[in-house]
Amino acid sequence: MSAPVISLRGLSKRFGPVWANREVDLDLYSGRVHALLGENGAGKSTLMSILAGRYSADNGTVIRHGREVSFNSPAKALDHGVGMVYQRFMLIESMTVAENLALTVGKKYGRQDVDHEIRQTAEQYGLAVDPEKRIFELSMGERQRVEIIKLLMLDAEVLIFDEPTSVLTPPEVDALFVVIDRLRSEGKTIVLITHKLEEVLKLADDISIMRRGRLVISEPIDARQMSRQQLARLMVGRDVVLRVDKKEVAVGETVLALQGFSGDSHVGGPAFTDVTFEIKKGEIFSIIGVAGNGQAGLVSAIAGLTRAEAGTITFAGTTYTAREWGMAGAREIAYVPEDRYHSGSIASMSIADNFGLTRLQAYKTGFAGMLLDREKMAADGSRAIREHNIVVESGEDRAGTLSGGNLQKVILARELTRNAKLFIAEQPTQGLDISATEDIWRVLLECREKAGVLLVTGDLKEVLSLSDRIGVIFNGRLLEVIDAHDSDQVDRVGLLMAGVRS
Amino acid sequence: MIRVEKRKEPLRYQGAVAASSAVVIAFLVGCVIFAGLGVHPLTAYLAMGKGVFSSVDAFSEVLVKATPLIFTGLAVATAASMMLWNIGAEGQLVWGGICAAGTALFLFPGMDAWLVIPLVLAASALGGLVWSLIPALLKAKLKVNEILTTLLLNYVAIIYMEHLFYGPWRDPAGFGFPGTAQIPEAAHLVRFAGTRISLGFPLALLCAVFLYYLLKKSIWGYQVLVIGKEQRAARYAGFNVNGKILTVMALSGAFAGMAGMVEVCGIHYRLQTGLAVGYGYDGIIVAWLAGLNPLAVPFTAILLGALFVGGEQLQSVLGLPSSISLILEGALLFGLFAGQALGGYTVTISGRSKVAS
Repeated sequence: MSAPVISLRGLSKRFGPVWANREVDLDLYSGRVHALLGENGAGKSTLMSILAGRYSADNGTVIRHGREVSFNSPAKALDHGVGMVYQRFMLIESMTVAENLALTVGKKYGRQDVDHEIRQTAEQYGLAVDPEKRIFELSMGERQRVEIIKLLMLDAEVLIFDEPTSVLTPPEVDALFVVIDRLRSEGKTIVLITHKLEEVLKLADDISIMRRGRLVISEPIDARQMSRQQLARLMVGRDVVLRVDKKEVAVGETVLALQGFSGDSHVGGPAFTDVTFEIKKGEIFSIIGVAGNGQAGLVSAIAGLTRAEAGTITFAGTTYTAREWGMAGAREIAYVPEDRYHSGSIASMSIADNFGLTRLQAYKTGFAGMLLDREKMAADGSRAIREHNIVVESGEDRAGTLSGGNLQKVILARELTRNAKLFIAEQPTQGLDISATEDIWRVLLECREKAGVLLVTGDLKEVLSLSDRIGVIFNGRLLEVIDAHDSDQVDRVGLLMAGVRS
Repeated sequence: MIRVEKRKEPLRYQGAVAASSAVVIAFLVGCVIFAGLGVHPLTAYLAMGKGVFSSVDAFSEVLVKATPLIFTGLAVATAASMMLWNIGAEGQLVWGGICAAGTALFLFPGMDAWLVIPLVLAASALGGLVWSLIPALLKAKLKVNEILTTLLLNYVAIIYMEHLFYGPWRDPAGFGFPGTAQIPEAAHLVRFAGTRISLGFPLALLCAVFLYYLLKKSIWGYQVLVIGKEQRAARYAGFNVNGKILTVMALSGAFAGMAGMVEVCGIHYRLQTGLAVGYGYDGIIVAWLAGLNPLAVPFTAILLGALFVGGEQLQSVLGLPSSISLILEGALLFGLFAGQALGGYTVTISGRSKVAS
């Protein structure tokens, strides 16, 4: 193989306490498609955003044609021939294709030549698009083509695609693959950020797999020698299960039962279809899946925040249709949401005030319950700080000043005090360090002594450490429910997450 | 190296920083204008100060101006606690005035003061409330932007009021002047110690205290503040966001409506031109200068009232256009937003962190 067109050496990037990338080395070659594979949050997009000049790295260097370069803006990166097609297109919807392109390439060609140049580039790479159409009239696939044309007109040599198929229909996906093939044969360097195995196997020449900010294997993997199963295993990992004291707890009555539960996702991602499972008091039931497989919509519907379309839900002995459940509002369910910063808490309010968010019933006082018992709220907040070792100065500290782990403990403590029969924890340890993670795991294990726990996560280690039973969700369907104590079966979880049923 | 970065946590005294930067910027803008007009800035500011503090009478006028400003300031602050922009306090004030005058003139003309005043007050609050419910319903049901609807409905309200006092409600004994007949004496608000300060002023203070406790101590207030700060958290907690849009806007409109009542029953004693002089818009500045804190609203209202009274002095003493006070008012708002924006950033100079603005 010839010399790499661009190399990353020792690239690291931190967001607060979280390492998004840590000591990453990567070489990219011309005429090859390099797939960057990994789960959501593995650090793929951050790494490529650094390469495209959108973020700056804390450490490490970028070497282009043998010389060290630094990209402090996307424009600078493009000067060096590196461009990115983002998941959210950077186009002005009310302007035409030609106008949008003139904005970025106008200086180079002049307004008159832009139209001609668009047609020529489009023809050369098979990117059919009408320059006179306004962006909002275009399909997602067409918009993506405009973005690709934009990069090509700026003479990009390295084209980075961030989850390019996530917004496309199947025929559009096929068309995109043809385009990428063409780009490769013209000698361009393609980076494909994805978590979809089929795409990788279909397109890639080289594969790098990322997990928790690092490359799983430092050398690029030859795509032709990989099977789906091997890839899935590398992507999800099979880390040693951390030891947590898991007390035996007697399983009690059924707390929640779903029967043929289906509905649209109102919170992004695909719909969920025909989901059936039950959770008993005393157990942790986990739903595991790669993000974007319908679990977000499912949880939101179970929590009663959005309405499902079909099926029934039985909670604490009463059966509701999907619609009734959505209307009733599931107020007797404790719920730790995935987005702890914007849903689970209010950053500009004090910890004490945050303690009221889901528990206003408990703080009603005076004037027919119209007043708020702030003293009690503050007292509960202070007690939670003591009991859960939350590191703050006082309960008057604003939630936004807390670290992720401490904030999560506040939310967890608040939801625990609701004494609900069902406790939902959604990605409860995402982005947290080991010690905070263990604290939260302990709380969840304790919690199952009094309630049924629904754990929704993409973290296999978490599932294996905590669960009693494991449901794997893929493409909106619950593929299988596995007994967590059956080690032969548990080995299949990683594959099931990738949609492999064997 | 100088690096400007977005602040991760808001400044602790963000509100105070923004308010003081507003005053400083307005002061500086004033200096430039006065200098440009050939008047020494100190002379001009002294004239303004003298106009405000020279006598009890002069200062009482400040409180007279502040009274409707407190109400409209509270109206804007109420809506803004939920991040709703009520630009329509002017129109709601007008409807408050219409309902006050109408109630006093036509519904209860012969009634005693102790009965008619509460009725007139309630009518004015109801008038403002109903008017504010139009944009509130459009927002809650159809997601129509309330900034546009509240603003545009102002013109509708003003034109309708003019129609009333030029047409059907015009005083038959008024020698053709536009305006209704004087409202019965029973509906006049009591004035204090020979000044034009009416019962409206303590009433306004009372409303400020009421709103403060409502937001701080009630379940409703808590929910409103949460919705204003973090809609996603409110939805997660299952708050009824649309319902709150209606109640918040209703309360906001009611405050603005009462501003119309204190003007009609405390100052003009009739419905006439001069009711819609922009107190509704000034309320935006009052509320934001106060950092949306209801207890600070009376103070910023008095500050703005003093600016207006002082501005009149510029005209009578120095022969300068009194509209300079409007420029200063504008500079206050710009200064406030500049202070808020700058307060959101830190400036790092060679490793050390310093506060901007």
